[in-house]
Amino acid sequence: MNLIKVYVHEVTKRLPAKTRDDIALELKSTIEDMLPENYSEADVKDALSKLGNPAVLAASYRDTPMYLIGPNLYDIYILTMKRVIPWAILISICIHIFENIVFFSGKEAILSVAIKSVWIIIGNVINVLIQVFFWFTIVFVFVERVGLSNSDLPNKKKRMIWTPEDLKYVVIIPKKKAISKGDVVFGFIWTAIWSIAYFNADHLVGIYQSIDGNGLQFVMPLFNQDTLLLYWPFIVIFIILEAGLIVYKWKAAQWTMKLATANAIIHGLSAVTFIVIASNPNLLNEAIIPYTAQLFETTSSAAANSMEWIWRVIVASFVVTTMIEIFESYRKARIR
Amino acid sequence: MGSLLDTFTTELRRGTLTLAVLSQLRTPQYGYSLVQRLEDAGVAIEQSTLYPLLRRLEKQELVTSSWDTTESRPRKYYVLSDHGIKVYKQLKDEWKKMTLELKSLLQGDENIESD
Repeated sequence: MNLIKVYVHEVTKRLPAKTRDDIALELKSTIEDMLPENYSEADVKDALSKLGNPAVLAASYRDTPMYLIGPNLYDIYILTMKRVIPWAILISICIHIFENIVFFSGKEAILSVAIKSVWIIIGNVINVLIQVFFWFTIVFVFVERVGLSNSDLPNKKKRMIWTPEDLKYVVIIPKKKAISKGDVVFGFIWTAIWSIAYFNADHLVGIYQSIDGNGLQFVMPLFNQDTLLLYWPFIVIFIILEAGLIVYKWKAAQWTMKLATANAIIHGLSAVTFIVIASNPNLLNEAIIPYTAQLFETTSSAAANSMEWIWRVIVASFVVTTMIEIFESYRKARIR
Repeated sequence: MGSLLDTFTTELRRGTLTLAVLSQLRTPQYGYSLVQRLEDAGVAIEQSTLYPLLRRLEKQELVTSSWDTTESRPRKYYVLSDHGIKVYKQLKDEWKKMTLELKSLLQGDENIESD
């Protein structure tokens, strides 16, 4: 008798409270049904072993799913994650960079702030990923439990009325022609970096030195900011054009002749502008030359000479890179 | 190999279980009487599967239940509802159709083997 009571308790304690009494009563009478008259303890044990592990029995009474996210929602769950995660990463990086620019006190050298920021950004991104994963999973588990019926899901609806006609709207982009999302994002980040660098060149682009091991200190700017800023309307136009080009690339997702031409015009013009700016004799900060001459223990004219050469190589490699990029885009656009 | 066979057999059995239980519930039955009827007919069923199944069928409104307290111990009786009878008949027809289809498939296979 006692064994039966304990067994029933072992099962019902794992069940929702409102069904407990009814199941307990039924289980008790069932077990007694299984027993012969004037049963012994061995009979009881025999009957209970037929019913098996109370935990397993309780589990089969429970009708809530034994998984967090079932096959109905799994596809859409993974799809949502894939769509949300890249944006979450991008946005958290952007917010951090924006914060740093707005709250920049100017006490520290920008490069050391930037190096610190990279670590903070990595931490932030991990944090955001954990948050995104946690909250989206919670929402999906909730939907799974509450039981949105299958037809409520957009993805299921679409699947139900799928016809072969739908195939006509699918565009297959050959891999060789494709512009990956990674390229687009890289283009966006690159544009952001050089625009920030241009407008803040007086305290960003220059010579850094570690003084007394106290992190990097900004010693002097590389360029005359006044000369550099003479060209700002052009730069703003190029930023806008470049942004438009990035959106165009995102939408098109593959190289076309039109896109390659737009790309060639914008990048060609920006290369020309770059050469014009670079060849302005007042561009370089005068103070740089004596400083480097002292640093490398040579004469000022030798330092100026090598500076000019370095500058030429930079300009030449920029032009060559642009040409290669334009050529490549045309090559890809011509692939059928 | 053996465990794979077990898995398939369990799956086959699970598919037929609902039909087997529904077939015995045209007259009211309590848990253990149902087990005995099924065992008499040679249908082996885990009791830990059967009792939860009965509750699920009740929740799906295929069977109704009532407590009988007139006898020495209270018993919960289950019987097919009107809806349950309809579903049972349809399921039975499905089963007959399926066995016929499968029979012809399996027979074809045996003919090939004997060639």
